[in-house]
Amino acid sequence: MKHLARRNFLQVFGSSTALSMLVGSGLLKPGMALAIEFNRNAFEARTAADALRLIGAAGAETSPDILLKAPEIAENGAVVPIEVTSRIPGTTRLSVLVDNNPYPLALQFNFAAGAIPTFQAKLKMAETSRLRVVASAAGRHYTLFREVKVTVGGCGE
Amino acid sequence: MSDPIKLRATVKGSTGEVRVLIPHPMESGLRHTPSGQLVPAKHITSVVLNLNGRPLIEGALGSAVSANPLFAFQLEGVKAGDRLTVAWQDNTGQRGNAETVFLAA
Repeated sequence: MKHLARRNFLQVFGSSTALSMLVGSGLLKPGMALAIEFNRNAFEARTAADALRLIGAAGAETSPDILLKAPEIAENGAVVPIEVTSRIPGTTRLSVLVDNNPYPLALQFNFAAGAIPTFQAKLKMAETSRLRVVASAAGRHYTLFREVKVTVGGCGE
Repeated sequence: MSDPIKLRATVKGSTGEVRVLIPHPMESGLRHTPSGQLVPAKHITSVVLNLNGRPLIEGALGSAVSANPLFAFQLEGVKAGDRLTVAWQDNTGQRGNAETVFLAA
């Protein structure tokens, strides 16, 4: 009886270890569990208008509750640091577009409860462009944009 | 083999701050070598952050994210010792991941 209990314990322990190893080694697909799907096609869009339409944010209204920190002039377009924060309650997604890039949609982040809708990242900018943030909350979309001047483009030649 | 991910997780109060650097070329597929050869696209398409095994932040990335992506995030309701994992995948199917625990700042 004692033996059996130990065996059960080992089996349970063994299988959960195997599972966590599977997750840890990346064999399980990352990002399976968050609710909102991304539209990968939006990343192939060649214009900001198309990308906005594909992420469902074509009619986004301007909001002062989105904060965007970005340099006014970026000397190196290969590395443009940005910081984005949404103060809109219930923000579940932040998207960033660089209007004049060959592929304007740069990135999107989904935030589950427990994650604060803010991030820092570094982007490539091909040339001087409007930088655009879209915040999504409760099925509505809000936007904010800013012009960033680029001295040397960062998308290769 | 690519360089390991750099992952830093600190707690101030109950707010967790995460910094993650993923060594990766982030090739856009638009760039040419000096001899005129097109460099094929190789960039991270997906990244996910888990707190104690629960996914909290999921990202979809395009080729406009700079090489060796560096991100910073904030989580709430975090305590020292909580486990943070990050996993990524690129457009060629390559994957990577890293794990750390939150330390009091």
